[in-house]
Order: sequence, then structure tokens, then C-alpha cells
Amino acid sequence: MKHGQPGLSVLHFCKGWDMSRSQYLLAAFLWSVIAFLVIYPLSILVLESFKISGTETWGLGNYLEFFKDTYYLKTFGNTLLLSSLLLITTTVLGIPLAYILARYRHRGKTVFTALILLPIVLPAFAGVFAFIIFFGKYGTLNLLLMDFGLIDKPLNFIYGIHGLVFIQSLHMLPFIVLGLSAGFTNIDPSFEEAAEVEGASGFRRFITVTLPLCTPSYLAGAVLVFLWPFTDWLTPLILGQVDFLPSVSYINIAYHFTDVHRKYMGVVAVVVSSLVCISLFLLARWWVEKKTYTGLSKGTTEEGRVVEPSPLVKSGAYIYMGLIAILVLLIPVVLGLSAFSRRWVFEPFPTYWTLDNFRLILLDSPGMVKNSFLFSGIALVLGIAFGLPVAYLVVRTRVVGKDALDFVITLMLAFPGIAIGVSYMLAFWQGIPLATYWIIMPLALFARRLPYFLRMAHSSYLQLDPSLEEASEVSGAGKLRTFFSISLPLLLKGVLVGVVMFFIMAFQEISTAIFLYRGGWETLPIGIYLNWHRGMEFGAAAAMAFLMIVITFILLLIISRISGGVLKAAWGTAKK
Amino acid sequence: MAFIEIQDLYKEFKKVVAVNRIRLEIEQGEMLTLLGPSGCGKTTTLRCIAGLERPEGGDIIIDGKPMLSKGFVQPSKRGIGMVFQNYAVWPHMKVYNNIVYGLKLQKTPKKEMKQQAKSVLELVGLSGLEDRYPSQLSGGQQQRVALARALVRNPKVLLLDEPLSNLDAKLREELRFEIKSLVRRMGITSVYVTHDQAEAMVISDRIAVMESGNVVQLGTAQEIYQKPANKFVADFIGTMNFMPGSIVEVYPGENKVAVQTEFCEKLMCTTFEKVDAKGAERVYASIRPEDVELFAEKPLDRENVFKGTITNKAYLGNFLYLFMKVNETDIRVQVPHFVPQDEGQQLFLFFNPEKCNILF
Repeated sequence: MKHGQPGLSVLHFCKGWDMSRSQYLLAAFLWSVIAFLVIYPLSILVLESFKISGTETWGLGNYLEFFKDTYYLKTFGNTLLLSSLLLITTTVLGIPLAYILARYRHRGKTVFTALILLPIVLPAFAGVFAFIIFFGKYGTLNLLLMDFGLIDKPLNFIYGIHGLVFIQSLHMLPFIVLGLSAGFTNIDPSFEEAAEVEGASGFRRFITVTLPLCTPSYLAGAVLVFLWPFTDWLTPLILGQVDFLPSVSYINIAYHFTDVHRKYMGVVAVVVSSLVCISLFLLARWWVEKKTYTGLSKGTTEEGRVVEPSPLVKSGAYIYMGLIAILVLLIPVVLGLSAFSRRWVFEPFPTYWTLDNFRLILLDSPGMVKNSFLFSGIALVLGIAFGLPVAYLVVRTRVVGKDALDFVITLMLAFPGIAIGVSYMLAFWQGIPLATYWIIMPLALFARRLPYFLRMAHSSYLQLDPSLEEASEVSGAGKLRTFFSISLPLLLKGVLVGVVMFFIMAFQEISTAIFLYRGGWETLPIGIYLNWHRGMEFGAAAAMAFLMIVITFILLLIISRISGGVLKAAWGTAKK
Repeated sequence: MAFIEIQDLYKEFKKVVAVNRIRLEIEQGEMLTLLGPSGCGKTTTLRCIAGLERPEGGDIIIDGKPMLSKGFVQPSKRGIGMVFQNYAVWPHMKVYNNIVYGLKLQKTPKKEMKQQAKSVLELVGLSGLEDRYPSQLSGGQQQRVALARALVRNPKVLLLDEPLSNLDAKLREELRFEIKSLVRRMGITSVYVTHDQAEAMVISDRIAVMESGNVVQLGTAQEIYQKPANKFVADFIGTMNFMPGSIVEVYPGENKVAVQTEFCEKLMCTTFEKVDAKGAERVYASIRPEDVELFAEKPLDRENVFKGTITNKAYLGNFLYLFMKVNETDIRVQVPHFVPQDEGQQLFLFFNPEKCNILF
């Protein structure tokens, strides 16, 4: 990333060593936090993968076995296959959707946008559970179809790779839609007009000019989509499809702690997934940075190029958006039905309504709700205390190594949650026995979700004109005073959105926490998983999931109030 | 019949009139400039000619073919070349691919395509840069790519939308002449949009001055400078001193009137047309700064001489600019740079009746 602030750099030059010494102290402190919470555990993870079980020796043995064993290879292949299918599906579904949202002038644009983007903030497992209830073997849809005599035997809607692709697609679709629609909105209209004048009409123009120009913003989302199957261990597990890398790692590590060899193989799988994720992430980043196209147009409107489609196209667009919106809406609706009912089995709709589930999770054992808020809250405070100084350091100073700091934190975006969880489990058990204290939970959440906050603080910092701060310094205020009286109030909006987003993300974190929790430390997501997994408190799990959705939704409303738009809220502050 | 005819063109955006039933005729091979401040409708008019906007009324006839009245003709079917204000050179394509984009769509044979691209690149002075990406070019070079792309298909009409406004002053001046000679050599009928009067005067055969959706004057640069149609045009093209007043006397047969202004009873002015009205009519007696003559002693042999004081002066290299006050009226005067003047000095201003006009 390049940030040009010639004015500021001169200022720093004149102030000399004194000013930069405190900046270097700050940098050193931030680096030590990163070293302790990120670099140290991850290196332990890597070290562990080289351990040979039953001996005290180290070696490449586990890796050789991983790449020779047909089972692990098959798992690896499956994951790649799922990733590709997922990317294809979301792209095919996403291109028209993004185009409709970005370019067509239609009623209910905000509502549709909000609905289609909703999965981005919903916990992935909430979707899985809702779809099992609705599309499962004896789920609502199958039961209804059988009641109407349309089918004799239940259809297999979701168990299998097709179901995985379906569920994960719906969850990841927003990333593609957001990226592409931002692209469609932001590209300089004259690029397309020039093509129009040159003789390219309609589809041809879209293929040769519009779409290629959107590739950078598409790719940013696409890489996250592609990496999702390397991260999501829960969905395959619940659907009974375990032959995917993250699920295998999870099972190997969480269930076979007595079989040390299997544990090491699990760690190898985690490291391999992480390597795939990081390299693809870096590749995409490198490519995007190389290909960032900017127009020169001064007169582009905020909404970009908007067209009025023909009535036929328009109704098609409505139907298409409606279908996807309905699928998304199924998640809260089904979970809601389940949460307010009991013994909802073998019936298309619940028959026995009750508030028991909520009484259970809110009054009888409110620990999980309390833990969720407590852990996410502490993680959030840590995030702000750490994220703002980092953003300051990266954007406003010329401290050596600041870009490396930014880079390491951004990399955390690519790391599978399971890698963080496992590495914390390994690193903070012996040696530094932090994992025996509950503080490990918020620390892990903080480390895992840090990039989300940082990116937002970062981009709002970039939009803050340095001369505003310089003016304050020239008027005699010190750096710290300037920060609190000038920078912070101006950054507040962007930072607040980042704060809420961070909280939402930490609130629904499970991949990391599942390896670290102990009795009494359960959070809502863990509670949902456990209740579901045990197969007993089905309704309680649904109630927890429903509660999470409600909380998330309220938080989202707050964000959109702050930032004035759901789209902006979900994607961070507007681009400069 | 003119090559391009714009007939009662009408375009509005959300109830705001952008182009108000304008009529224009552009001859074959002519270079016409639409000149006006931002928001005057010049770019909208150009985009209507290109087909990038759909006007609500009127017609545009290019080479005898109506673009609107017999069904909307898509931009891609109009046979025009266009240069955009921000170049709109596609950043994901190399220079060569940018230029041959339109040729490819016409299914031009490869060999011919190469030949045409080569000659047009030579024409704009970009030979050898075929394989560069736009991001590797300077602003001026990108502008030349845009020009080459617009010219390569030998369009019937060339449209230029403030093509030089993103370049620095020196380059802008250079390219003005280049574009002019290039377009003239190729004999393409062209419409040029700009808000820069100097650019318009250099580049065009005729200028159409626009104000809030209307063409207020159409003519050569000289006609417009010397005989502005109204106060707006006079103010927009060059600098003009306006002295508000009312006509007190009309001299029939002489195209002369006397105007009563704030500082005098009778200021003799020439009119472009016959003026019948007399008295009470609000007019502006006006004179260009370079037409005001200064005298140290009051010349006794002529009328239209008034005493003024220098309030401010500016040295502009090739001439000296004086801000003067005649009574309460501000008058700007341009004199040769070697004439020594001091602030506060009192001088006599002579408004030559031949060069003092009235505007409405």
C-alpha cells in the first residue's frame, strides 16, 4: 500500500529523532504484542507439525505421510473441488445480482441489498442449522412435498457436496456481490461510453470493458470465497461430510487427543490449509494491487451509471432477487420457529409453542450469553487499544517496519480460525499456561478478528486530511492532544463502524474458541454447537442462534445509523 | 444542407432543463466549438450528438440521417469518434488494443488493422508505444491515444469533450494547435466542447456560446469578440467594462446613442443594430480594457473623456493592467507595459465612441 503524505513527512523530518523515538517505542510495544499473540503461537503450531510421534525427534515425516496417504490427498482434493465449485456458483449467481443491485433503478433497493448481504454478518452455523430444519431429510420442505403427494421418499436436498455448495454459496455470496457491485458502481462511466461510441453494444461491452475493469474488486471477494472451505470445518461436519481438510483437522485434534500421531497429522492439515490460504491470499493481493484501475473523471455521480431496464428484464430481476432474499430470510424465520417451539419433529411446522427455550438460556443458565458479551467486549477493548495505534503508526508515521506490522496483521484475515485455535491450544498450554485462565478466550478472539477493526480504522485514517492534524500541531498542541482533540473525533464515525463490526465478528467466533473453552467458558456459538451436537436441546440451540441473529441485527441497525447505509456498513467506509 | 443539423434539441434531467430547444447547423469539415460555463448544457448537447443521452425532444441529423425522429440510433451505429474529458483509455488494454477496439468490432482484416493502427499512431506521434499499458503513459500521451482511437475508424464526425482540461497549461496550448491541424488535414466535421475561451478561439471555425441551455451567440471568434450579442457573452469572452445606464438619446441613421451613466450625463456609444427605444431602457455601455485610451492632459477635441484615479495596478509582463475609478464606477484599463503609472495618479480616460457599445 502506498500512502502519499509529503506534507507530513517533511514535518517529521524537521522534528527529528525526538518525535520518532516515541514512535519507535510505540512500534516496539505493538510488535511485542503481535509477537506474543500471533507469531509465537503460530510458530509453535508449525514446530508441532514437524514432531514425530513416539519419538523425541523432528522431521518431515508427517508431511511426507500427508502427501502420500490417499485419504489425506483425497481430502485435500475434495477441499479444492469444493472451493472451485463454491467460487463458480457464487460468481455465476453473483454477477447478475451485483449488476442488478448496482445498475438498475428499482424500488426496495435498500431492503434487497440488506437482505442479500445479511449472511455476511450471520454466523455460518446459524444457516446450516436452519437449512437442515427446512431442507433436511424430514425437514419442512420434504414433509410438505410428501403431504401433497408429490414425492414418496424424502429428497436429498443438502446431504452431500451439492448441499455444501448450496449452503456455503449462500453464506459467501455477499462477498462476491459486494465486490462486484462496488466495481460496477465505481468504474468511470466514460470507459463504457467510449466502448459504446466505438461500436460495442450491450453484452459485448460488458464482457470486454465492464467486467475486466471490475476484476480487482471481484478478486478481493473471490479469494475469501475460495478460501472458505479451507476454514469452515463445521458445515461439512454437520452435514456428515467429513472428508475436507478443516473438518479432518478438527476431528483429528479435538477427538483424538490420545492418539498423538493423529493429532500431529491434524496439525499438518492445519498448516497445509493455512499455507494454501496465505499463498492464495497474497497472490490475489499482489494481483489486485498491480491492477488497480482508476479513472480521472471528476463528474461521476455517487450512484454511478444507472439504467432503467425494460419491464420484462425488471420483473426478472425482481424474481431473481426475491428468490435469494427468501433463501436468506429462511434462516431467521426457521430458527425463530424452532426457538419458540418444542418437539418440532416430523412436522412441517411446529405445533407446540413455548418460551421455555429462552427461559433456559436467559434465566436458568445465562452463563453463555454473559460469556459471549464479556469475551467479545474484552476483545473489543483490546482491539481498539491496539488497532488505533497501529492505524496511526501505519498511516501517519515513517517508522521502519510499519508496513511489515500492517502486513502481518492483514495476513490474519487469511488464516483459518482453526489455525489460531489450535496454535493457542498448543502454545499456551505448557510453558506459558495462559490457557488455564479464561482470559485466553478474549485474547484469541482479539487476535483472530483484529484485521477487521484495523482495516476500518486504517481507511478512516487515510481519509483524514493530515493538514487538519498539522494545523493543530502548528497551533501548539502536542501529538497526543492532537490525537484526542482532532483526530479521534474526526475518525470516530469510521472507528465506530469498525468497533461494531469487530464485535459482531467476535461475537459469532467459533473456530478459534472451540479449541480453547473449558467448562463454564462456553459462549453462545459453542453452546449452539454443543446443544445441537448432543442432539438433545435442539430448541435451546435454535433459541441461542435466534438470539444471536437478533443481537446482530440490532448492532447492524446501529451501524447503518452511524454510517448511513447498510452497504457501507458491511463493507467498511467508502473508498476515497 | 448542413452535415450535422440539430433541430430544436430538448433535454432535461429530473425536470431541470439542460438543453432548451437549440438549433445548430454544422457544415461538412467544419470545426464548431460549444463554449460556455459549467452547467450551460454544452456537454449534454455533445452527448446527445453521440447518442449517450436520449433527448426528450427535437432531432439530430447527421449526413442526412435522422438520429432520433426515425427511431433512436445507438451510439455504436452513428459512425462517430469521441474523445472524452478524462481520456477513457481502457486501463486493462494495451495502447494497440485500445486503438483497434472499434476496428475489431467492424471485423477489419488483421493486416489492414495493423496498418491503420500504425498510421494513426504516427499521426498522433505515438509510434513505438503500441505495447504500453495506459498507466505507463503520461497524461498527454493518454490523450493522444484517445485521439488516435477516435480517429482510426475514419469517423464521419469527431466529438471532443473538453479533451485538454486535464493537462497542464503548456501542453494544453501545444495540443490545441496539434488537434486543430490534424482535424483540418483529415477534413473531419467536428464538435468541440470547452469552457476555455482561449481554447475555443484558437481551435474553432465557429463558436456557439451557450448559457443555461440556450445558444446565445453563434459566429467566428472575431465576430463574437467584437460584437458580443449580450452582456453574458461579452463577460464570458475576454474582459469587458460594463457601465450600467439608460439610453437618453438615439441618433437615427448613425447607429449611435447617448447613454446616461452613473458618472456622466451623456456617453456616446455605437450600436450594432438600429435601436428604436429611447429613455428608461436599462443598458450597459461597455468597452474592452484595451480600447480605453489614457491621457495625462485632458484632450479638448473630443467627447467621452472622463477623469479617473488609479486604485490598483498589476504588472502582467506584456502589458500593464490598471484598476481605475471614474467617480464610483470601476474601469479596467490595459496599457502597454512601458507606460509608467502610479497608484493614486489621476488620468483622463477616453472611451472611443466607435469602440464603446451598448449591451443588454
